Amino acid sequence: MSSNTPKMSAKSRIHAEVRASLAAALWFCFLAFPLMTLSIRPGNAVAFSIARIPYLFAAVFLLTVLWRFFLRRRSFKNVSKAVLESEGLPEDLRPGPKPSWVSVFMSSKYRSHMVAFLLLAVSVIPFVSSPYVVNVMVVALIYVALGLGLNVVVGVSGLLNLGYVAFYAMGAYTYALLNQYLGWGFWVCLPLGALTATLMGLLLGLPVIRLSGDYLAIVTLSFGEITRLVLTNLNITHGPRGIGNIDPPGFFGIDLNGSVKTFLVQRLNVHPDMNVNKIYIYFIILAIVVLTIICVFRLENSRLGRAWLAMREDEIACQAMGINRTRAKLTAFALGSTWAGLAGVVFASHITFINPASFSFLESIMILSIVVLGGMGSIPGVILGAVVLIILPEQLRFFSQYRMLLFGALMVLMMVFRPGGLIQSTREVYIHRGGSRKNAPVPEAAPNRGGRS
Amino acid sequence: MSDAAKNTTDIRPGTVGAISLAKNTTEVRPGSADAISLANTRPMLELQGVHTAYGSIEALKGVDLHINQGEIIALLGANGAGKTTTLCSITGLTPPKAGRVIFEGEDIRGARTESLVKKGLIMVPEGRRIFPGLTVLENLKMGAYISDDQKSVKDDLEHIFNLFPILATRSKQSGGTLSGGEQQMLAISRSLMGRPRMLLLDEPSLGLAPIIIKNIFETIEAINKESGVTILLVEQNAHLALQLAHRAYIMTTGVITLSGTASELLNDESVKQAYLGG
Ligand SMILES: Nc1ncnc2c1ncn2[C@@H]1O[C@H](COP(=O)(O)OP(=O)(O)O)[C@@H](O)[C@H]1O
Ligand SMILES: [Mg+2]
Repeated sequence: MSSNTPKMSAKSRIHAEVRASLAAALWFCFLAFPLMTLSIRPGNAVAFSIARIPYLFAAVFLLTVLWRFFLRRRSFKNVSKAVLESEGLPEDLRPGPKPSWVSVFMSSKYRSHMVAFLLLAVSVIPFVSSPYVVNVMVVALIYVALGLGLNVVVGVSGLLNLGYVAFYAMGAYTYALLNQYLGWGFWVCLPLGALTATLMGLLLGLPVIRLSGDYLAIVTLSFGEITRLVLTNLNITHGPRGIGNIDPPGFFGIDLNGSVKTFLVQRLNVHPDMNVNKIYIYFIILAIVVLTIICVFRLENSRLGRAWLAMREDEIACQAMGINRTRAKLTAFALGSTWAGLAGVVFASHITFINPASFSFLESIMILSIVVLGGMGSIPGVILGAVVLIILPEQLRFFSQYRMLLFGALMVLMMVFRPGGLIQSTREVYIHRGGSRKNAPVPEAAPNRGGRS
Repeated sequence: MSDAAKNTTDIRPGTVGAISLAKNTTEVRPGSADAISLANTRPMLELQGVHTAYGSIEALKGVDLHINQGEIIALLGANGAGKTTTLCSITGLTPPKAGRVIFEGEDIRGARTESLVKKGLIMVPEGRRIFPGLTVLENLKMGAYISDDQKSVKDDLEHIFNLFPILATRSKQSGGTLSGGEQQMLAISRSLMGRPRMLLLDEPSLGLAPIIIKNIFETIEAINKESGVTILLVEQNAHLALQLAHRAYIMTTGVITLSGTASELLNDESVKQAYLGG
C-alpha cells in the first residue's frame, strides 16, 4: 500500500457518500412525487405544482448526509474500541461483557439508598400534583407492569407474542363482567383476572408453543384479533358499546371521596379536584409494579430464568441439559400473561369503562415497543421504555398530529444506534451477587489449557 | 497441569472432582484386557436393530451395538454415516421408529431426553453448542439444571474450576468469547455438572488444532479412568479415537459395518485404507 492511499480513499469516500445521498434524495422524491405535487382545488380541479420538489430534494439530501455521517462514526467508534480492547492485553484479561451504568449502580453499595429514595419520590407524587398527572402516572405504571410481563415472554424467553393485549383484555373483562353482573369487588377479581389470563395463556400455549419464531408470532397475533372480535360480538359484553360504571377498588367499605378527601385536601394540601380513588389505584398499581420487579428479578436469576435465556440461544443444547422445552416455554408464556391479567383488572377499575377498542393490535405493538425500546430482558430498560412511550407523548401534545410519525422515527433511530435498547441487559449483576469466583482458586500460573485454536 | 494433578488430593466421593488429569495417559492400552473381562457382564447400553428416519429419509437402518460399564467406545464413520443420529436416537432427540435401546436393563426408546439426563445418560452435542450469551459460570450451572441440591452444584463447580483453571479465570465472560478449545472444555464440563454415568460425546475434536485435540482427549480419558464414566465417543478422526478407545464400531450409511477392539481395528487392512489414510 502506498502512503497516499488513505488520502485518496478519503476523497473517493466523500464522493461515494454524496452519490449515495443524492440517490436517496432522488428515490424519496420519486416516492413522494404524487403526494407532493397533486392536490385538488375547489370544484374538483386537479392542480399540479412541482415547486415543492426541489425543497424536498434538498431536505432529504441533507438528512441523508447527516444520517450516513453518524452511522459511519458509530461503526468507526466500534471498530477502534474493539482494536483497543484486543491489542496489548494478555488473553486472560480479555474483557467480558461491559456492564451498563445501571448494573454498575445496581451492584453499588448505595443501591438500597437510591431505591428507597426513588420509592419515596414516587409515593409523594400523587399528593403534590394534579389529577391529570396522577392519571397519566397510573396509565404509565399499568404499561410498566404490562411491559415487565411481556418482557418475560419476549425479552427473556424470546417467544414473540403479538397478541399480548388479549390477556390484558381477559383481566379487564373478568373484572368488568363479574362486577357488572355479580357485583364482585376489585380485590376478589384481581386474583381471578390474573388466573383467567394465566389459564388462557396455558390453553393457547399448549398447542402453539412448539411453533417457532414467525409462526408463533402469527398465531398469537391472530389470537389477539380473535379475542377482540369475540368481545365485540358477544352479547354479554355489550359488544362495541362496552361495559361502563365499573367500581373503583374498595377500601374497607369507606368512600374515599368523603371525609378522607376532606382530610387530605385540608391537611395535606392535596389538589381539591383530586379523585382520591385514583390515588388509591395509583398505590395499588405501584405495589403491583414493585412486586413484579422483585418477582422478575428473582426469576431471571433462578434456574428457570437461566433456562429461558438459554432456550433463546440454543434449544438443542437445552434439551441435552435435561430441560423440558415445552414446559419451560409454557411457563414463561403463561406467567407473562398473568401480569397482563393483573394490569387489565387495574385498568378496568381505573378508567371505569372498557370496550373492545381499548384492546386493539396497536396496543400489543405499543407494549412490545416498550420492551424493545427499553431493552429486551432489562428491567430498568422496560421501566424507562414505558415512561418514554407513555409520558413523553402526553407532554408532547403539541406534536399530537405527528405522534405516530415521531414514534416511528424514534424506533428506527433506536434500532440503528442502540439496538440493545435504552438500557441494555447484561448478565453481570447476577455474577457479582453469585460470588462463586471466591471458591474457585485462580492459580497465578494457570496453564492456558484451551489456547486459541 | 501439575496444578490440576495436585488438586485431586481432596477428592470427594461421588462428585465430578473424582476426575483428574493424569499426565501419562496418552499411550495405547495394550490389549485392553480389562475391557474384555468387563464384556462378560450385561452391557450398560445396548442398541438392537435401531431404525431412525427424518421424514422419509432413513438415517439408521438397523444399528446394533453395546457398551459395557466403564468402557470407552468409539463410533467411527464418514460424514453423513449416521453417527449423530445414533446419539440422538439414544437420548431421544430423534426417537427411533423401530428397534430397542436398552439402558441398564430398561428399554428407553422414546423416553424423554430429560428423564434420561436424570438417569445419568448425558450427551455433549456436536459443535459444542455452548450458550454464547450466557457467562461461563451460567453455562456450567445450566449443566446442573436437573439437580435440586444447590450444595452439590457448588461442590461440582469448585471441582470443575480446579480441573480447568482456565474456566475459572473466564467464569464471568460470556461463552461466545471463548476460543474453540475453551468452548469444548466448557461443553464437556457443562455435561459433567449433570453428574453423568455415561457420556455421549459427538465429535469433540471438530474444528480444533491438533495440540488442543490431544488435550481434550486426555481429559476424556481422565474422566473415564478416574471417575468411571462410561464413554461413547463419536469421531471422524479415527486414528486418535482408536488410540483412546477400548473398542470401536465403524458405521457406513446407517449400519454398523465393522466392530472390534481398538487394536484389531488399528491393524485391520480395510480400516487402514478407509479411515487411517492407507
Ligand atoms: N435434521 C435432518 N433432516 C433430514 N435429514 C437429516 C437430518 N439430520 C441428518 N440427516 C441425514 O441423516 C444422515 C445421517 O446424518 P448424521 O447422523 O448427522 O451423520 P454423521 O453425524 O455421521 O455425520 C445424513 O444423510 C443426513 O443428511
Ligand atoms: Mg455428526
